[in-house]
Amino acid sequence: MNNPALGRAVLWPLFLISAGAVGYEIALTRYFAVAKWSEYGYWVISIVMVGFALSGVVLALARDAFARYGAGLLAALPAALVLTAAVGFHLTTTNPFNPLQLQNPATYEPQLWNIAGYYACLLPFFFLTGVYVSLSFVLNAGEVGRVYGFDLTGAGIGAACALALMFVLHPFALVPALLLPIAASAFFTPGRWRRVSVTATLLALLAGEALLLFGSQASFNEFKSIYAPLNTPDAKVVAEIRAPRGAYLLLDNFTERVDTDLSNNAGMLGLPGPPQTFGLYRDGNRLASLPKPGALDAAYAAAGLDALPYKLIPDAHALLIGASGGFRVAALLALGARTMDVVEPEPVLRDALRHGLGPSPAPITGAEPQIIADAPVAAIRGGAGPYDVIDISADFMDAAEANVTAFTAEAIAVYLQALKPGGVISIPVSIRDFPVYALRMLATVRAGLLQAGLQEPARHVLVYRSAWSVRILLSPVPWDAPRIAAAKAFADERSFDISYYPGFDPVAGRAAIYNDLPAVSFDTGEISSQGQADAIADEALAVLEGRETPSGRAFNLTPTTTDQPFFYAVLRLSLLDTILKRLEILPQAEISGLVNLAVLAQAIVIAALVLAVPLFAPGRLRARDPAAAKPPILRAMLYFPALGLGFLFIEMFVIDKASFYLNDRASAFALVLTGMLIFSGLGSMMEHRFEAAPQRGVRLACLIAVAWCALVGIGLEHAMMATIQLPWIVRAVLVLVLVAPVSLALGLPFPLGLSRSGTGGMLPWAWGLNGAFSVVATPLANLIARDAGFSRVLLCAAILYVVALLTFPAPRNSAS
Amino acid sequence: MTQTGFLTRRSLIAAAAALAAAPAAIHPTLAATTPWTREAFVAAMAASGRPINQTQAQFDAIQKRKPIAIKRIEKYLTERLGRADPAVMAAFEQVPREYYHYLYSSSTPTPGDAYEDNPKPWALGYGSALSDYLGQAYMTQICEPKPDHVTLEIGTGSGFQSSLLSRIVKESYSIEIIEPLGKAVAKIFAPLGYTNVRTRVGDGYFGWPEVQGGFDTIIVTCAAQYAPPDLFKQLKPGGRMIIPIGQPFKRGQVLFVYTKDAEGKIHSKRDVGVFFIPMTGAMMNRPAPKPGAQ
Repeated sequence: MNNPALGRAVLWPLFLISAGAVGYEIALTRYFAVAKWSEYGYWVISIVMVGFALSGVVLALARDAFARYGAGLLAALPAALVLTAAVGFHLTTTNPFNPLQLQNPATYEPQLWNIAGYYACLLPFFFLTGVYVSLSFVLNAGEVGRVYGFDLTGAGIGAACALALMFVLHPFALVPALLLPIAASAFFTPGRWRRVSVTATLLALLAGEALLLFGSQASFNEFKSIYAPLNTPDAKVVAEIRAPRGAYLLLDNFTERVDTDLSNNAGMLGLPGPPQTFGLYRDGNRLASLPKPGALDAAYAAAGLDALPYKLIPDAHALLIGASGGFRVAALLALGARTMDVVEPEPVLRDALRHGLGPSPAPITGAEPQIIADAPVAAIRGGAGPYDVIDISADFMDAAEANVTAFTAEAIAVYLQALKPGGVISIPVSIRDFPVYALRMLATVRAGLLQAGLQEPARHVLVYRSAWSVRILLSPVPWDAPRIAAAKAFADERSFDISYYPGFDPVAGRAAIYNDLPAVSFDTGEISSQGQADAIADEALAVLEGRETPSGRAFNLTPTTTDQPFFYAVLRLSLLDTILKRLEILPQAEISGLVNLAVLAQAIVIAALVLAVPLFAPGRLRARDPAAAKPPILRAMLYFPALGLGFLFIEMFVIDKASFYLNDRASAFALVLTGMLIFSGLGSMMEHRFEAAPQRGVRLACLIAVAWCALVGIGLEHAMMATIQLPWIVRAVLVLVLVAPVSLALGLPFPLGLSRSGTGGMLPWAWGLNGAFSVVATPLANLIARDAGFSRVLLCAAILYVVALLTFPAPRNSAS
Repeated sequence: MTQTGFLTRRSLIAAAAALAAAPAAIHPTLAATTPWTREAFVAAMAASGRPINQTQAQFDAIQKRKPIAIKRIEKYLTERLGRADPAVMAAFEQVPREYYHYLYSSSTPTPGDAYEDNPKPWALGYGSALSDYLGQAYMTQICEPKPDHVTLEIGTGSGFQSSLLSRIVKESYSIEIIEPLGKAVAKIFAPLGYTNVRTRVGDGYFGWPEVQGGFDTIIVTCAAQYAPPDLFKQLKPGGRMIIPIGQPFKRGQVLFVYTKDAEGKIHSKRDVGVFFIPMTGAMMNRPAPKPGAQ
């Protein structure tokens, strides 16, 4: 069926609705990140996206009925979409879901109902959006390339607009704005339904906006870190910044102080505690302390766990990675550092260093020190150095998603090359939740030392700690007795413990431990050590020598690399039963791996249901015309899932690489998502060029995809490192240049496949298949990347496009 | 050795034996001196600014669960710490836990949740939670409270922990940082006759320096990356500071126990004994951890 008059008119509203739907999805992601925790938003949104897949199934089963009433449905849907979007978001914000209770076996049950509530309130919008898109395909079966093109470019523009809106609107206020493009789609309704559609949609828009603007307002979960400071007496917000990378609030309240790991003997040492500060929060999570007006007092610094390198190397020339709001700059000066370069990639923190933020003054006013915006690896490759000390601040890893690349084996190898012979690298690890993180960092350190050509890593490492944090010091020359003695004296004075140095005896060390750290078996939940213990000291040497340890059997202690940059991923998902038994004690950062697994399981179930449609309703997929070709169902069952998986695999691979290259996850996400959607939309509009020889088009597109994967797999890392010092805007353009050719190619196979699917329910079913496997793709790619690396994700993408090439569903003629 | 000396020693031994056998000294209160009836409960709730309607049947159902919960606590402490401190048990007997089940953000009493079979944390509103009673029993015993002790809690929350300690120690001080919660909870101690509990709303970083002589125990439930130096200054020699770490809905948290040595240096112990709260009878039968392993 193809109705040219109706069809052409359908495409612009389709564009607007796709734009609004993707914007709505991004707004929901932001809502969950700010109000709750982002990993749960990922769960909820991934599953409600199944609405697209379900819409395909429904249309496949009742294509004729939908086609018969297509015009009326398309006229009715804008109003329905506006209402379901508004009501869905309102109910989402009033849902009392508490993620923390989900982790407790005694309190999780009501939270499952709350999650079900999210599904119930958000599924209608995504289902109806899917119906609109699917119906657009059905009503324009002869122009699927154009339909897909409008759908994808609309989505791309919608993503870009939603991200741009974040500069002016609070994340909670995005949805009211995004109702507008959806509502505007009603104005393109053709024929006699137009007036009714416009009137109904405007009424729905008024009701929706009223509900969102005057109904109960979204707010922070009361267990997010901003909640308590915000509710102390006389607390106030003194500055605010809105951006796609986060909603920033600067708070003035009495709880804010420099968050450093300080010796408990500070008073005995005659040192003051850290000063009061402002607190900078991003998306409700504490990001940093910013100074109050007046002189920046860092007299406390000598009591800090991070002070040792400056005791070992007076007058050091330092590379400080992470300025901690300027307090670490002041601390290094107080500790005697002679000069320093400061790496601060987080843009708000960086800007505050030079210009202050609200009432918080700029801590750095002169030309020195130099502040570098790039990633640490890029900063070093830019030629700064060599250094006496390369010092990573304790809050650096969590300050920005891309900062994790500073803790990879490759980065450590680069740091070592930028160090003077007697220099020291200082790496922090928090052990408040799991001491095993220190062991994983030691495994990474070992890999970095080996990469740098140091064949005996254990001779180059010293580990010391407080009760809550560890510092790992690396030296390009082996640790000698005087330096070890100095480290011991430093630790003893401050009630810190040395956990490792070359020649360290962990058994003898137990006799004088300040901070008892018992070993606890993750498997049995029992304390496995006796008396005074240091669980890190017990295994440090074995990890540094690459030997197996008890912790290594229970946890994933593989080194963090640029290919597997997941530091907070120590759980072995193969031990799921044990993990679920220990759910209550898992750190928040580890929960995303479990949520990903849950999303994958549910997505697979949904995808299996969509795949099974031909089994329980085979007749529905056939064309009405008995002379028409039989739909190649088996081939389609491979072809469309392969496309859904392959596209997302490539997208996720590029987002990760661009995050490292641009040193910013938010802009990488925006650039890659928008770029790939728009270019693939343009690619799909070229579908008509291959009308006569679709097989050729698919072959060309798939071969380009496979060749691109091969080239990228071989040369991307080298190309990125060779150009990483270029200005950000040049690198952003290079990212677009990278995604453009493959995206243009990836836009072709889907419409070419759809256009061969005949007049039965095959077309919407194929659309549903693609949608269902797109939902599977995200958690599956995450899982592969987490456990095998992003290079394997790319390899899988290449294989999937080979599968697509081999299974292109060219219809068989029934007469033959 | 003189006869007098011998007699003195004998009498001391007898007195010590008597003390060991008798219940620990507990401060008398309204609940201890007058029967804890539905009427007394309703009156105390009203006097604390949290009026409630409760039937006799509802009240009786709570009281019926209490002895079972008390036995559960005793068994738990015995397994985890080798013994259940009689003073802690007596405090649990005396403090009516249902009085502390209240959702302050919506002014909703929830006493029916008290003494639940499956011990769990309960939301109080304003980002605070009433911890599970097994975890609170463990924490109280770890504090090793004595009748002459003075304690300080940073993070009043429901007030239950301070109330428990107040039944054992001389003075129990508590500071809450969340204004609406702190103001509301400040009113709940007087109606029970807990006159040795002192609370205020404000910054806990500097402790309560007006208290002369310092504290024997300090509990800090809202710590940053370090324990505030001023609190160590206010900790008496031989005293202990306890910092529970972990999200509020964990049943049991990691406890960091800090002590001062003779030189004044601080030592810490990561106490995970409260990590795994038993859910089944089988787990309840696990042996106590070996001495020194805590």
